[in-house]
Amino acid sequence: MNWAGAVRTTLVCAILIVLHYTLRPLLAWRASIDFLIVALLLGSVRLRPGAAAVYGFLLGLVADSIAVSPFGAAALSMSVVGFGASWLKAVFFADNLALNGFFLFLAKWVFDLIFLIVGHRAIDPELAMQIFVWSPLAAAVTAVAGVIVLALLKPLMEVRST
Amino acid sequence: MATAARYGSRVDAGLLAGCVVLSLIAVVLKDEDREPIASALRRSVVAPLVGLQRGAERWRSAWVASEQRQLASDSVAIRGIKEHALQVENDQLRKIVGLGSRLEWGFIPAEAVHSAAPSEDVVTNMTLTAGSVAGVQRYNPVVAPEGLVGVVQTADPTMSVAILYTSPDFRASAMSADASAFGIVYPHTGRGSAAYMLELRGVPTRVQLKPGTQIFTSGLGGTFPRGIAIGSVVSELKTTEPWTRTYLLRPSVSPSHVTTVLVLTAQRVTQGTGNVWGAAVNVDSATRRIIAANDSIARQATLLEAQARRAVLDSVRRATIDSVRRSLGVIVAPVTPESTAVRARLDSTRPDTTRKPPT
Repeated sequence: MNWAGAVRTTLVCAILIVLHYTLRPLLAWRASIDFLIVALLLGSVRLRPGAAAVYGFLLGLVADSIAVSPFGAAALSMSVVGFGASWLKAVFFADNLALNGFFLFLAKWVFDLIFLIVGHRAIDPELAMQIFVWSPLAAAVTAVAGVIVLALLKPLMEVRST
Repeated sequence: MATAARYGSRVDAGLLAGCVVLSLIAVVLKDEDREPIASALRRSVVAPLVGLQRGAERWRSAWVASEQRQLASDSVAIRGIKEHALQVENDQLRKIVGLGSRLEWGFIPAEAVHSAAPSEDVVTNMTLTAGSVAGVQRYNPVVAPEGLVGVVQTADPTMSVAILYTSPDFRASAMSADASAFGIVYPHTGRGSAAYMLELRGVPTRVQLKPGTQIFTSGLGGTFPRGIAIGSVVSELKTTEPWTRTYLLRPSVSPSHVTTVLVLTAQRVTQGTGNVWGAAVNVDSATRRIIAANDSIARQATLLEAQARRAVLDSVRRATIDSVRRSLGVIVAPVTPESTAVRARLDSTRPDTTRKPPT
């Protein structure tokens, strides 16, 4: 990734992070868009898996510090998701938007799964409802938003060459 | 190359492991240990994001508050509209209840469902929610508090269909308020608002009705009882009939405003409705009765006054006579009914003083 590409990616990720803390509270949907996951995937596929894990960890720490959720849960989830996204980058950045959408969905759902299990520490009906109803819905919404972002930024973004 | 790749993979795995371990440490930390870290992050690196989030939440709160205010004002407006509709409905129901209490018996209440086809310019019939089970029969009059609405055309067990006065098949025998003119009411053949007018045909030429004259059912023909309000005279219509006059009537009832009606039973039609719609004929007779009653009261009062005056004069006369007698030394017995009767008997047995006794 050259410097221009790095700057562009950083800028897009920054915008997505800002959107996460501005647009998301404004919309206040029950199944809301997770712009941090989109930003994480966009950044991770341009980094090595280890660096992607660190990127996810830092992003997760930011999320943990602001949210009331258990501190470290988002960091753990994003580390894993970032590492996985970087490892699967070839698949993720196929030219198929539907496939990209599916991986965004999967990433968000895995994130929620780890986050909720680590954060709740106890299995109860509410957790099951969250995992099997609200998380897939939020993942679907995030996937749609991510696909739109990818479609809009496709001319600007370039994939790291292997 | 392969060594470098293997080294890279190990570094990646090591970084992931490090991140996971650090995250797990953060998770298992106690609240008092993790809060300073989170707080430090919030005050430094994450501060701009915290500010953005707070601003967004404030905007959201303002938006929600504005929506709630809008909802509140909308609900107030809707309540106002509903209140008006309820008020109108209440007025109609009150009138119907008033009509029902005036009629007392011989009617079936029903809701009127307007069934005008979109192609029809004029509403000519309506469906009633009462049928033969409730006692509705064909040709029963359908009335509203304002007056005549129509007549039942078909009566099914649970519902019935009534034709309105706008129907070409509608006829009603009618008369003027003072019963000076009789005729037959027909629907007026016109378009637009004129289609809801009526015609009073067959009025003798010698009778001229003034605009505003109230027209009621005459009771002739047996379909409608006497005295149901039909409408008022608007003007005379020019026709080719030389011996009769035709008048344009404005109906008392507007079909679009009719939501609840009463169906008069056949027995009620036979026995009449009396002065329920304030028929002037009945009003006139009532007025005459009142005037006559007033006259009799006045006559009675005059009579009583004359009697009282006469009684006073009599007592004065008697008092004068008694005082004269007392002054002449004649004993005056108290005047009692008994003494008066005895005196009368004595008078009747006593020979006439003017007549000389037989010698």
